[in-house]
Amino acid sequence: MPDRRTNHEQLREETLRKIRQLQNKFTIELLALAFFILLSVGALSDFAFLPPLSDSLRAALGHPPSAVMISALLIVYIFSAIILILSRMMSGSSRAGGLSHAGYLAGFYFFYHFSGTLPENFWAVFVTGVTILGLESYHIWIYCTEEIEKEREVLENIDYFPKRRKDGK
Amino acid sequence: MLKSLTARAIVPVTVAVTGFVIVCCILLYTIMKTDMTNETIKYATNQAHTIVKSTRYAMLHDDRDTLQNIIKNIGTQEGVEHVRIFNKKGLIMFSDVGEELGRYVDKNTAGCIECHSTPVPTATLGNMKQARRYANKTGTEVLAITAPVYNEPECFNAACHVHPAGQQLLGTLDIGLSADPLLKYLAVMRSRMIIFSVMVLMVTIGGVAALLRRNVFLPIRSLADFSAQAASGQLEQLTSQQGGEIGKIASHIRAIAMELQQVRGELEKRKKGE
Repeated sequence: MPDRRTNHEQLREETLRKIRQLQNKFTIELLALAFFILLSVGALSDFAFLPPLSDSLRAALGHPPSAVMISALLIVYIFSAIILILSRMMSGSSRAGGLSHAGYLAGFYFFYHFSGTLPENFWAVFVTGVTILGLESYHIWIYCTEEIEKEREVLENIDYFPKRRKDGK
Repeated sequence: MLKSLTARAIVPVTVAVTGFVIVCCILLYTIMKTDMTNETIKYATNQAHTIVKSTRYAMLHDDRDTLQNIIKNIGTQEGVEHVRIFNKKGLIMFSDVGEELGRYVDKNTAGCIECHSTPVPTATLGNMKQARRYANKTGTEVLAITAPVYNEPECFNAACHVHPAGQQLLGTLDIGLSADPLLKYLAVMRSRMIIFSVMVLMVTIGGVAALLRRNVFLPIRSLADFSAQAASGQLEQLTSQQGGEIGKIASHIRAIAMELQQVRGELEKRKKGE
């Protein structure tokens, strides 16, 4: 049977691990935002640094969808993403999708790029990204801050009780 | 500050509504701009074909003076930046600018390259490919259309002409129209959309913020002040009388505070008695 000291140490380690996980969670959101901003810098120049697609690859990719169709999809995407994030905020869920949102937004940039309408639609995708990733980061920041505060309280209690026993109170 | 109740309620709503409205406005403006530009191109292309048709009689009769007059008069029309007809080799035969006559156009420039990008030039182009946009020397944005002048039986069968029947294209009409009216209209539309969006945002966010402030934030703030005073031993009258959940919390806090005050009073009495 493990003694109380070992249990306290385990609990302490567990709490510290949870705090690190929460901090990592928020860092991942910030990384997703940084990735999106880097991608946007490239998209601003219509990915001029990328080599042009070969005709065979272009033929393999097929005919690009029309800009109107991509724009309609972008509206549906921003609407559903906002609803999803607000519902997560409401329920206090810990789920975060910053990286997947950055992936979807990269997809929109590339679809507009291949349809030849990225310069006209760049700001629409950029504002969509800033809105969604901004909301997501705010939600995760609030959630992680609250959870870290709770874990720190647990940590304080863990540190307080052995001290009391030691003092003989 | 961003962790306060007010921020938690207002920031997500503000970001979500502002982002959504801006994205919708940008996409709507882009679609409307594309539609209007395409319509203007169609209209300008029709105008170019009308000019080609109206010069046909003069061409058939090899009446170069009349043709030059028609081109010159069209060039004086407001909104027409340039108008010229050049032959298959690119030699400018008729133009509203006298100095241009007898010069060759560069086949590698926009407006020519669309057909001359391949060793065998393309003879037909869609409406959108016949158009090009650029800023001229005076800085005016120009929408230019190139309309081909095709070889027809009446042309190659006429006694005066030397065009062989196999020649598909005789020349090209190039007309440049000022894009200023289109740009002005787009600017007006853009500013109207911005004003509309700002008004929608102000009404939505302002309305939500005002309602939350009136029904949630102010009562909670007075509850917080009241509970802080009660904790420090000062029991004052709670100013906000609210129904619903906040009203219930207020009445419970009031009851607890009064009980606390009674207990404190009794304790003080006991202390005095001792």
